[in-house]
Amino acid sequence: MELMNNYKETILIVDLDAKQCDTESLSEDMVAAGLGGAGITTALYEQYKDRDPLVIGTGFFTGTFMPGGCAGVVTAKSPVTGKLCHVPFGGYAAVEMKLTGFDFVVVLGMADSPVRLWLHDGLSDIDDAADTWGKDVWDSVDKIREAYGDDMIQLLLIGPAAEAQSKAAQFSVNYWGSFDKAALGAVFGAKKLKAIALRGLDSLDVAEGFFAKCIELKNEICAGAISGKSGLKDIAADIGVDAGAIEKLSGMTHRNNAGYNCPYAATAFVKYNEAPTVVDMKGHPAPGCLISDIKGFAALHAAGLDAAQAMEQCFRQGIEPEAAAKAGKTEGVSEDAGKAAAFSTAVPESVFGSGQGDAWWQKRQALGLILGIDPMIMVMAPEIAEDRIVEFVQMSAEWDDFSADELERIASDVIAKSA
Amino acid sequence: MDLKVDSMKCTGCRICEFACNYHQDETISSIGSSLMFYFEEKKNYYGMMVKREKTLYLGRPEGEQLLKPGEQIEGAGASAKPILLRVACDRCEDEDDGPLCVRACPYGVLSLEG
Repeated sequence: MELMNNYKETILIVDLDAKQCDTESLSEDMVAAGLGGAGITTALYEQYKDRDPLVIGTGFFTGTFMPGGCAGVVTAKSPVTGKLCHVPFGGYAAVEMKLTGFDFVVVLGMADSPVRLWLHDGLSDIDDAADTWGKDVWDSVDKIREAYGDDMIQLLLIGPAAEAQSKAAQFSVNYWGSFDKAALGAVFGAKKLKAIALRGLDSLDVAEGFFAKCIELKNEICAGAISGKSGLKDIAADIGVDAGAIEKLSGMTHRNNAGYNCPYAATAFVKYNEAPTVVDMKGHPAPGCLISDIKGFAALHAAGLDAAQAMEQCFRQGIEPEAAAKAGKTEGVSEDAGKAAAFSTAVPESVFGSGQGDAWWQKRQALGLILGIDPMIMVMAPEIAEDRIVEFVQMSAEWDDFSADELERIASDVIAKSA
Repeated sequence: MDLKVDSMKCTGCRICEFACNYHQDETISSIGSSLMFYFEEKKNYYGMMVKREKTLYLGRPEGEQLLKPGEQIEGAGASAKPILLRVACDRCEDEDDGPLCVRACPYGVLSLEG
């Protein structure tokens, strides 16, 4: 097994009680047992479960040439369900995390005053967060990037709702909320952990022939079920979102964005403070917001709210949008999050005819969060079949004896331990 | 022939940067790439910069722009500056199947023209 093609081989252990960081090696045995992502965050959770751990992980293929390899996972016990939940985070944050030099981060205990974690270039700092505690997510992102002097810093952070440990809270990826419907943001809040800031300039090695193999798979995916489809509106139409909500979304969409190396752009930036057609570096400083949770958007629309602007308020406060829709407002929401489950229900059960039932969906989610492949891509791209995954693992890590039985065992284990 | 960017097709997935870096030093990273993603996140304003031999090519959503040495990128923040230190795009002339960035892009943003 050649770990350097997929990992930096380092686990960061953050003890908030002692305000101290230590590292452990990510061993071949750990990768053989759990492969990556949720497979290893689950093992780390169990190892440290007496200290209420919050575990953040990158997947086996996060940051590689594997199509869709943008995902990381936050694993913790949900305050809503009392069970282990795995929430994906994508865009570019998980790639940035791996390139900081830390494959996994285990946060233990509770700080006695607000802190943030600053991971950069193999270094880890626990910094005071009094300057952002109590501030909304958007102000906090701006302030933290300014404090560390880099506007490309990626952030996992919380707003006022999670600071108050609301069960309607979610953690946010930069400005734009997340797929957290299990209130894992409130776990950040309980630890007084305002943010994890990430900036890394490290690199991964690449197995001979792996780039070309990934390009072949990407071309197959692009020629498959997603061919001719575009953006969040086509997903919304396919999963039966209310026509009025789709019309609203389409009319405001500026551009569709994709996470790192994702062959489908599944998020939509909507503008409501300037015309959606405007492309101007010197335009409105905050023209709109980036929508990825189409179910949250649709729920806010159905609640009679201006869905796009309500999404912005949810993002700022750090509130899960379906919970806000249930409460009919975007501040002071105290209801439970939308549909808490082991895997985020923000990901549709079927897209472009892919669905094969709940057990299939759960397995695709588990595999995505183990491998670091965007969970939406896992649903819409059957080309990433299990036999292909085994081939790619074997080739990427030069690990010839990795088998389909092992992949099955690891996915089943993740599902069983969060049931 | 030079690398060109059709910026409004771009979705910001950034795989082109990493493919270029792989061509330059056979690792996955973005810091050795001749391409650099420019992003004003809150405005969702983004485009690609390409370091050429004697100029800097900007594939902006408003259109293309060429800068000569010493010229400033109007309105650009600090994240735009490191591109000036990068190696110039060699169009992957030693690659039989063409530039890695063009092959890697799922959206047809990049092409060789001229």
